[in-house]
Amino acid sequence: MSAAAQATLAALPPGLVWQADRLAHPTEAGMATGFAALDAQLPGGGWPRNALIELLADAPGIGELGLLLPVLRTVSAERWIVWVAPPWLPYAPALEAAGVPLEQLLLLEPANHAETLWAIRQALASGGSSVVLAWLTRADTAALRRLQLAAEASATPLFLFRPATAARQPSPASLRLRLEAQDDRLSVDIFKRRGPGLTAPIQLSIPQRPISACSPVYTDALVCTDPVRIAATGIHTGRG
Amino acid sequence: MDDAGELAVVEHQSGARVVAATPSALARGVEPGYSVAGALAVAPALQLRDRNPALETATLAEFATWAGQFTPNISIDPPDAIVLEASTSLRLFGGVAALARRIRLDLIPLGLHATLAAAPTPLAARWLARVRPDSLMRASPHWWRNLDALPVDLLAEGAEVSRATLELLHGIGVRRIGDVARLPRDGLARRQAASVLDTLARARGERPDPRPWFVPPERFESRLVLPASVTSTEPLLFAAGRLFSGLAAWLAARHAALDRCRLCLEHDDQRETLLEIVTGRAVRDEGRLLMLAREHLAALELPAPVEALRLSADTPISAPGRTQDLFGDPDAARDGATLLLDRLRARLGPDAVHTVHPVSEHRPEHAWRSAEPGCRPARGSPACGLRPLWLMTEPRALGSPRALNLLSGPERIESGWWDGADMRRDYYIARAPDDGLWWVFECLDPPGGWYVHGFFG
Repeated sequence: MSAAAQATLAALPPGLVWQADRLAHPTEAGMATGFAALDAQLPGGGWPRNALIELLADAPGIGELGLLLPVLRTVSAERWIVWVAPPWLPYAPALEAAGVPLEQLLLLEPANHAETLWAIRQALASGGSSVVLAWLTRADTAALRRLQLAAEASATPLFLFRPATAARQPSPASLRLRLEAQDDRLSVDIFKRRGPGLTAPIQLSIPQRPISACSPVYTDALVCTDPVRIAATGIHTGRG
Repeated sequence: MDDAGELAVVEHQSGARVVAATPSALARGVEPGYSVAGALAVAPALQLRDRNPALETATLAEFATWAGQFTPNISIDPPDAIVLEASTSLRLFGGVAALARRIRLDLIPLGLHATLAAAPTPLAARWLARVRPDSLMRASPHWWRNLDALPVDLLAEGAEVSRATLELLHGIGVRRIGDVARLPRDGLARRQAASVLDTLARARGERPDPRPWFVPPERFESRLVLPASVTSTEPLLFAAGRLFSGLAAWLAARHAALDRCRLCLEHDDQRETLLEIVTGRAVRDEGRLLMLAREHLAALELPAPVEALRLSADTPISAPGRTQDLFGDPDAARDGATLLLDRLRARLGPDAVHTVHPVSEHRPEHAWRSAEPGCRPARGSPACGLRPLWLMTEPRALGSPRALNLLSGPERIESGWWDGADMRRDYYIARAPDDGLWWVFECLDPPGGWYVHGFFG
């Protein structure tokens, strides 16, 4: 590109033309993710406020929820945090300990796939939710497109958890992340974003995970015949 | 009236005569007053319905209830008129013409059609509605001179002038109301026609014309017979719209709101289907109720064709109307949130929408409970070890625990002897082969074994 064209582009108001070699600058700043390393790599400096965000992960327990906890902690009151079709039970004691406002939590267990999609769209369109988390095992492109449009129209972020194999399927989501565990840390590969591709996945250490707090005790419980009792909560006489 | 094809209503009092007909029947040449044979001769496809006075009275009452949103002073003037005393609310609605236009428009969703007229006295308004629909007569000096041109037959309308008196007037060549005024008053009085003078005085406002005010019913109940039995929900929703319009008007007239109502679907030979529509907060907005009804109907499988709909509601909650806020509605966000909750509950069922609260318990399975969304959890859960964000409601047996890498533990949980769900477990945090962190336990009671109970998501 000639220097003159560069100068012309630079003079344009930000957000009007997106140059593919740099991160897009949406007019609205994103929601801080709570992880500086991740914020630096996301267009708008955080999670987009009106988009479908795909989080692809296969293994549970790698910190996939921990990644969103900072967002869930800072949502505005009066609105719901909607979880649609979570695969397991969100465990109240742990959520409370993590500072998630349980009175704003809305867990939906739709009976089938169609109702799941319906519930996600309702949660987005109502304007009554500050963030929507949803788990979908399968979704065709048309359904994803409708979800993306609903998220855009309602200015509500939708975090969609999908299996890692979905990475091969094209998606209208403007932000797609692959989550993997890397030793003690969560490796986040932003493989689609409005900006140049990421050279290497970001390594995040997720707080509230046991891993940073404790070190391995032993490696094989079945070999160890007399495990060291570290804590014994709950005594036999019990609490009435 | 909707266009229901060629349809006429027949009264059997003095020989079967047509009393009303649909526009398409009128276009065919059927006219009120025709005998049934005459009507069938001009329109062979004509459908006949018997006149139902009870239904007419009920419709008038429904209409009067609905009109409560315009003025509290309403009186039913049988058999077919309703008088609204609107002089005090004219400024609010922007004048007589604007009020008339609004009434006409708002009646459309109710499926009713009315001829409107306005005049300074109720009797004059009624006469005008009969012969000069849409005339809006304002009070001015000698306004009643405008009544002089009306036909004298109107004297029997809404007044006690007997047919014999009318015939007497006809006999002496009186055709217009103005002609009566020119007759000698004492002569009329001598011929038992004092009622004529009395009626004229009332119509002109020279004599008081008190009327009993209509009181809206305590309980709302409205029934709509469907023209044909219905097997799908979409036409039901359309029909229900009319009922909900009536309900909203009832609420508006009482300055009230409600948080529940019942929609009954009546079948021919089966028990009726009852839909309980519960809203999250007091509402008076028909659109919102209808929207909830839509979700209920969408989730419903009709057991049989529906013949009629019935909507009933009681115990309205007093709720003042909301004034417009200059800086937007501060309740809008909260409204959106409750609306979402109502909607999800209506479609997914109340059990599928909930939240979770911690419970002060050591056994992991009992340390949480399902709770009403929006409720704040009680504080003070017991201090315990690190808990996973995901819990499996049923622990899953681990085939090969050797693959696990135990990171921390054990945490002995031994509790529950009092309710039969006693447990003795050693919990560990373990790293799975796929690098996920699992919450696993070894069951210390026979048969023992290793289980995974949650994930540190």
